[in-house]
Amino acid sequence: MPERQVTVKAEVGLHARPAATFVQTAAKATLEVTVAKAGGQPVNAKSILGVLSLDVRQGDTVVISAEGEGAEELLDRLADIASAP
Amino acid sequence: MTTVLAPVAGAAVGLEAVPDPVFSGGLVGAGAAIDPAREPGRVVAPIAGKIVKLHPHAFVVVGDDGRGILVHLGIDTVQLRGEGFELLAAEGDRVSAGQPVVAWNPAEIEAGGRSPVCPVVALDAEEGTVSALAEGRVCAGDELFRWG
Repeated sequence: MPERQVTVKAEVGLHARPAATFVQTAAKATLEVTVAKAGGQPVNAKSILGVLSLDVRQGDTVVISAEGEGAEELLDRLADIASAP
Repeated sequence: MTTVLAPVAGAAVGLEAVPDPVFSGGLVGAGAAIDPAREPGRVVAPIAGKIVKLHPHAFVVVGDDGRGILVHLGIDTVQLRGEGFELLAAEGDRVSAGQPVVAWNPAEIEAGGRSPVCPVVALDAEEGTVSALAEGRVCAGDELFRWG
């Protein structure tokens, strides 16, 4: 399955604005998208509850996965959001 | 139907009154906000359930039906790194609706140059499912809105 592994650079981690933007972008896609902390259980990337519960901090590595038509483009966008400072 | 309680005492205002576009623009989700009374107070759980995330400045309670409510204590308060907040419960605890979770003083937050306004957000709520929003003065534990 296509995936991206990125390090979260935002000071707040994947919370607040980065989390909301990440989930909104994922939710617009028709594909199934998951996000996990490296080595952890994946959660639905379209769920703000799921993403906030992951508790991704600055410097953590996350793995974003999706499969299907347009997965690569979607993963690139999500990786950009997750890794934005 | 989930009845969501006011976690703090103050004036119930709309999310659009929150001075942070992440909340006022509905990016996190639908819900309400409370402009808290400027006095030391205890922040209570808005629903019964498990505290799945507990930061000093924000927490999420998930009910048995899987629905999560985010309570955020003030804006940009992550920068305080916990100073001025006292945890009265622990992450992973089961709480009843109205049970104290955090103690804080909104007046101190404001004196530090930050807004003490508290967004209360129904996470992953489908559009149009949040209703019966309270208006005006509420006490901690009063009904704030319903999530149908």
